Amino acid sequence: MTGDLIYHNLHIYLFASLFLLGCGLLGVMYRRTLIGMLISMELIMNAAGLNLVALASFSAQGNAYGIAFTLFIMGIAAAEAAIALGIIITVFRRFGHIEGGQIREMKG
Amino acid sequence: MTPGEWIFIAVMATTLAGALAAVLSGSLVYALFGLVTAMFGVAGIYIYLNAPFLAMMQILIYVGAISILIAFAIMLAGPMYLRPREWTTPKKFVAALAVVLFSLLVLVGIIMGSFRAASGVRPLTVTTEELGRVFLDKLTLPFEAISLLIVVSIIGAIMLALFSKGEK
Repeated sequence: MTGDLIYHNLHIYLFASLFLLGCGLLGVMYRRTLIGMLISMELIMNAAGLNLVALASFSAQGNAYGIAFTLFIMGIAAAEAAIALGIIITVFRRFGHIEGGQIREMKG
Repeated sequence: MTPGEWIFIAVMATTLAGALAAVLSGSLVYALFGLVTAMFGVAGIYIYLNAPFLAMMQILIYVGAISILIAFAIMLAGPMYLRPREWTTPKKFVAALAVVLFSLLVLVGIIMGSFRAASGVRPLTVTTEELGRVFLDKLTLPFEAISLLIVVSIIGAIMLALFSKGEK
């Protein structure tokens, strides 16, 4: 296999994950509702996983740690989505909307 | 260019377009579809990185579980016609864009400075057997901790949804 192929280049993976991270950051800052922020958080998690796998598979020996920790990130993302669903349901019951900027009190 | 490279470019474009749609679309349902597209694209990138097991797990967990959960959250949070659009003020968009662009520039500088020698190397293959050995030999404690985290978070989500006081 020649080394000139476009997908044998580490930078392209790093830039893709950088773009995903940028989209996620922009969404977390810009979105109005909590669900939009949750979707952007998932984008950030994906960027982290892609970065780990790219750096691990281009490193000196083929170690499985990058893939293992990406699987851990997937588990954390699943747990985060479950918690966020619970929080969104609670917030919607209490306030009647899910706008992040309008929630000003946190009484139980 | 080889056909593999064209397919790689298509997968990459799918990922980036999905991410843009997930962030910039005005409706949450379209944003969710953009997220699913980006997830499929990232699964394709994992295949190009010689990690097919991870690509399968990506489709199973993200596309199969997390996006369904987000779809439930969208459906449970009131009817669509009562909800405001996702757009906020243009000023906030410009401010967020400026912050993101600045941080991305810093990151590009770091990456271009640090990993200059790493191009042109073929990605290495990790077999599933090797992965399972790493999970159960070396990373046993994080593995169990993640299991505990998922159990605790699911029980916590159920408690939150069951016992929260409603006040409409």
